[in-house]
Amino acid sequence: MRVLVVDDHLSFRRLASRLLSEAGFAVVGEAADADGALREVVRLRPDVVLLDVVLPDRSGLEVAWELSLTEEAPRVVLISSRGRSDFGDSFEWPPRCSFLPKHELTTARLQDELGLA
Amino acid sequence: MTERRVKITAFGLLAVAFGLWVMDVVRQEQQGIADLGLTFFSVTVVVVVVVAGAVTRQSGREWMGLVMAVWLLVSVLDELVFEWPDSRTATTVWMPVHGLAPAAYALMVLAYPSGRLRTTSERVLVALAAVVGLVWMGGPLLAYRPGACTECVPHVSSWLYTGTTSNYLTVGKASWIASAVLGVWFVALLLRRLHAAPPGARVTLLPLGLAVFFASAEFVAQRVVWLGGWRSPLGALDWIDRANALLLPLAIFIGLAAIRRRRGPLGDLVVELGDAGPGEVRRALARALGDPTLELALWLPDRRVFVDEAGEPIDTDDLPAGRALTSIGPSGEPLAALIHDERLLGQRPLLEAAGSAGRLALENARLQAELRAQLAELRESRARIVRAGDAERRRLERDLHDGAQQHLLALGLVLQLLRDGNGDDELHAEAEAELQTALRELRNLARGIHPTILSEQGLGPAVRSLGDRASVPVRVHTVDERYAPPVEAAAYFVVAEALANIAKHAEARSAAVSLARQNGRLLVDISDDGRGGAVAHPGGGLQGLVDRVAAAGGTLTIASEPGLGTTIHVEVPCES
Repeated sequence: MRVLVVDDHLSFRRLASRLLSEAGFAVVGEAADADGALREVVRLRPDVVLLDVVLPDRSGLEVAWELSLTEEAPRVVLISSRGRSDFGDSFEWPPRCSFLPKHELTTARLQDELGLA
Repeated sequence: MTERRVKITAFGLLAVAFGLWVMDVVRQEQQGIADLGLTFFSVTVVVVVVVAGAVTRQSGREWMGLVMAVWLLVSVLDELVFEWPDSRTATTVWMPVHGLAPAAYALMVLAYPSGRLRTTSERVLVALAAVVGLVWMGGPLLAYRPGACTECVPHVSSWLYTGTTSNYLTVGKASWIASAVLGVWFVALLLRRLHAAPPGARVTLLPLGLAVFFASAEFVAQRVVWLGGWRSPLGALDWIDRANALLLPLAIFIGLAAIRRRRGPLGDLVVELGDAGPGEVRRALARALGDPTLELALWLPDRRVFVDEAGEPIDTDDLPAGRALTSIGPSGEPLAALIHDERLLGQRPLLEAAGSAGRLALENARLQAELRAQLAELRESRARIVRAGDAERRRLERDLHDGAQQHLLALGLVLQLLRDGNGDDELHAEAEAELQTALRELRNLARGIHPTILSEQGLGPAVRSLGDRASVPVRVHTVDERYAPPVEAAAYFVVAEALANIAKHAEARSAAVSLARQNGRLLVDISDDGRGGAVAHPGGGLQGLVDRVAAAGGTLTIASEPGLGTTIHVEVPCES
């Protein structure tokens, strides 16, 4: 599984990449903002994008919507320091997206979300 | 001259005139030369003494009474010495007095109704009339010889008679022509005043109308005599003079009474104004002054502007043509002003009386207008404070998520890695660093919400600590005194925000903060040597400070000329 990790918070991004690598994922790249993420998706063609909701330039949700419209779109796992309930029940998530609060981010939960377990 | 002195002088002159006249009547009776003219003039003297006395007694009419008394004295002397033909003293007195009679007459008419001459042309006219009169009579005074003309009176020459035979009749003719010019000017001035008279004041103009009539009649009669070559004045001319002398003072009295009566509506005004709103105050004043176009301008002392009843500012320096402004209350700190038809200015006493009567109601109306303005400002600032509070909470939520929480989440990942047995020293160190950073950020955040040092140690130490952590060197001068928490909080956040602004925008090399206490107020000054040009925008940080200080009952002023740095001055009332 080729993974792109997108988060503007450097130490979190590094640690997440390391965690995923040690769990057997191939972390092929990292990005710190929305534009970088879109560029890296085109360049690296990852299977999975671990995508922070809050990015400095644009919202990660916007990035997810954009990715969902492309051919051979990667799986997107949105991550956030906010919980699912902060977004409300009627929140319209981009299609083919999973959501993981950052405090629940473990390799096991991620594999669950991706149907790998 | 005080009003009391004017009054005493007027009564004194009236008494002298009356006394002289009684003396002369007795003399003429004794000599058996009393005639119809004497009887008529006696009636006139009595009427004028009574009328001028009554005018003098009225408050605010002392000057008019004095002017009438002067005129009566001149008229009596003129008449009396003229009838006393065989004394050199009488001749010496008579001629100058006779010369001054027209000036006294013009003074009385033009000074009506206030008793003072108001325009330069009126003053010049009266002065010229006096000069021309004296020149006219000066020749005869020096050169008049009885017998030069058979009908001429007096029958002796004056004490100043020089014995020369200069042709004073030539001077007399020149003066006579000058007096004709002055007469035309006089009538023109009167006509102008009649034309400019305020609306609804016909009766009060009676004296002016009469004066125009008599002056014109006499002018025409004299021309006819002159052109007709009659040597002796017609009896008709004397009677014009006599009727004039009786009717004009009466007309002045009636006119003044009418002005007084026009103040009558003011009596009703006071009653009407009892519990009137601003609109009704305006209507009542308009009715009382007979000017339906009257507008009210209410003074707002805080903003130092006049506003209309809706609270909109009025530009009092740029009134439309034909409009005039009369302010009510002490000058410099007026209560309100009336904007009215310019022609009402001729009736200043009426305007002032109306203003005084309306004072209480206007004060009331002004307070209402001020209150409305303050309420509107209060509503706005309350909304701004709520909005600022909301924005602050959003900022705190974001700061928590983006700051401390990110580091704790990273720490969570480190712990996962350690649990999975992939730990090394580097990872341990990273865990510690993340934890320390998270704690530091939480401390900063808590300080932003409410600094412990402020509640524990007070404003002085809190401000010093702000100065120590500022991005530029800050000279801090503080007092170690405690104030009520809202006062300390307001002052602290002003300093904190101001220093943050200096760091962000001012491009300053240094700054200074001073706290001082003066007359029960805490004074806070924050200044920098940066580029200046700071303005309080709605929704901006400075506006937030203005609102915050206002909520504590204080004021915040910003001096920020571009290039000259910024100084923020705050005054907050602090009890005890």
